[in-house]
Order: sequence, then C-alpha cells, then structure tokens
Amino acid sequence: MRWFTHPWLTIRVQIGLGAIFAVAALPKIADPPSFAHMIYNYRLVPGPLVNTFALVMPWVELLAGLALILGVWRREAAVLIGLLLLVFIAAIAFNLARGHAVDCGCFDVHAAGKSREEQLSDMRWVLVRDAAMLLMVAQVLVASRKETGVKV
Amino acid sequence: MGFSAARILGLIAAAAVCAGVANLAASRERKLPWSGSYPRALETDSVSPSKSGPETVPSAAPAPAPSATSAPAPAAAGGAQRFQPHPDRASDEIGTADAEALFREGRLFLDARRTTVYADGHVPGARSFPVWESDIGERVKALYEEGLDQNAPIVIYCSGGDCEDSHMLAEKLYMVGFNNLLVDKDGFPAWQKRGLPVTRGAKP
Repeated sequence: MRWFTHPWLTIRVQIGLGAIFAVAALPKIADPPSFAHMIYNYRLVPGPLVNTFALVMPWVELLAGLALILGVWRREAAVLIGLLLLVFIAAIAFNLARGHAVDCGCFDVHAAGKSREEQLSDMRWVLVRDAAMLLMVAQVLVASRKETGVKV
Repeated sequence: MGFSAARILGLIAAAAVCAGVANLAASRERKLPWSGSYPRALETDSVSPSKSGPETVPSAAPAPAPSATSAPAPAAAGGAQRFQPHPDRASDEIGTADAEALFREGRLFLDARRTTVYADGHVPGARSFPVWESDIGERVKALYEEGLDQNAPIVIYCSGGDCEDSHMLAEKLYMVGFNNLLVDKDGFPAWQKRGLPVTRGAKP
C-alpha cells in the first residue's frame, strides 16, 4: 500500500480534487437563485434554509478546493470536502430510494430537461463519482497523516 | 484526529463572509434573500393544492370582468364566468387552450421564469414575476397595491413539465388575497409549440 501514500500520487490527487470542487463552485456562485432552485428540488432542506445553503455552500466548496490546490490547511480542507461528499451521497441516495428524480446540480445549476429515467440514471452515476472522490479524500488524509506524523 | 476543528470552522466562516459580500454586490437577478419562504420545501408529491380546471375553450358569454393587462385584444369576459374565484385553494390548473382563450380576452398573464429567460421570449403582455429572484416579494406587493379585482382570472405560467415556479408564485399571490389564479400547466413551451404570439425583451 506504499503506492497509495506516495507523494507523486498525493500531489496529483490533492490538486485534482481541489480543482474539481473549485470549478464546481463557480456556476453556483455566479447564479445563487438557480442553485437555490436546485437545492429546493431535492426536497430535503427546510424552506427557510434553502437560500442560506445556496449562498454559503458554493463558497465552502471554492475555499476548500483552493486550500487543497495551494496545500494550505489541506487536512481540514479534505475533511470539509469529505463531509460535503457524504451529504451529497446521502441526499442523492435518499432521493433515489424514494424515486424522486432530480438534476444533480453538481456542475451546472440549470435544469437539463432530462426525462425522469435519465435523471435517475444520472443520479446512480453521481453516487459512483462521489464515492470515487471520497477515495481521493481518504488518500489525501492518509498521505498527509503519514507526512505530518499524525496518529489517528 | 489530526486536523483542527477551529480551522474547519474558520473555512466555513470565511465562506459565509464571502457569500455575504458577493450577495451584496450581486445584480438584482442574481441576488438571493438569506432566508427564503418555501412552505413545500420538504414535500415531494403535489406542489400545490391546485385542481385542474376546464380544458376546452370557453364559449363567449357576457359578464363583467375587469381586464388587468392592456396587451392583447379587448374581449368579452367569458373567463370570468368560466373560471370562478376559488378562495379555498391557491390555484387551478388549466391547459394551453384555456390559456389562449384567456389571452384573447386580455387577461393578466404572469411569467414566473427567470428574468433572462423572460427576455428571450414571453407571452405578449405578460409581466415578469421571477419567483426565484430577490425582489419577488416587492413585485407581489406592488401588484396587490394596484388594486386589481382579486377575483378576476390571472394566468401564471413557467416552463411546463416539472416546473413548479408557477405554483410557487400562485401561492405568494394567494397569500395576499388573489382568489382566481390559474396555472397554465403546459407552460411556455406548449404556448410556443401551438404557434401563439410571442414577444422578446425585458418589457411586457
């Protein structure tokens, strides 16, 4: 498993994961009402909190992403991104389980005009993608623990 | 644990500050109130306690009904007879045929879609009421203060399909006393598909 924590891999995972989150945040920051609409469509966030989530969450993604890219507070940034991914996975999985099709809103805040079947299919793919990103988070945390000598 | 909870909270606090500054600097269309009012945010089934209204084009019948918009042709008031006020529920759903008939009568149309989408094309005479934008409350208040007949039919539309913006707008108007709100469930795409009049630009 030494390859899993190799610095060559760590730097690429760190920058890649950070870039994904930074890029994903930009359209949401540019158009908060559309992102609020996306969050609303999940039907999981209480009404008064929908807008608050829509305003703050993209900036959390952007700052955590930039922190990873720059290597600043990278363990904290990785933990934050891991928590976000867990929330995303739970939200998608819950809606899949109850058959409520939604547009992901991950990288685009406008409705894609897809059929219900297409949306459900996309949601399954998003679960796989988010799980893969969780693995990237784990890599950053394990590798940086080794580098900093942290004992968990 | 190997990480600082204080730093994580610091990142979240910094994000909140950035969000606040960005929202202050945003244009009207991009601004968002910090706390929204979405009473059905946790419901997945019906978006509104609305019922389907008549589907066929109403026959002409003389009845008094003040027209709220000046755009389309003046007309007899068939809609006022056909679409009675329904103070027990926010809205009734209608189809494109009914919407067209009400349009011919010169009824008020409201477009619940985003400002930019409205500018790309809308029903002539329809006013822009983008339900997801920050000034929707002010627009609703202004409409109320115009002193329109609250029992006269008002047609609301958005993008059809799964679009719920019309129902959300209907609920806001219903809360200030409008009793005859009709949601065109087929929305603007069906209107276009039917070859009905469309106009572009930021004005009705």
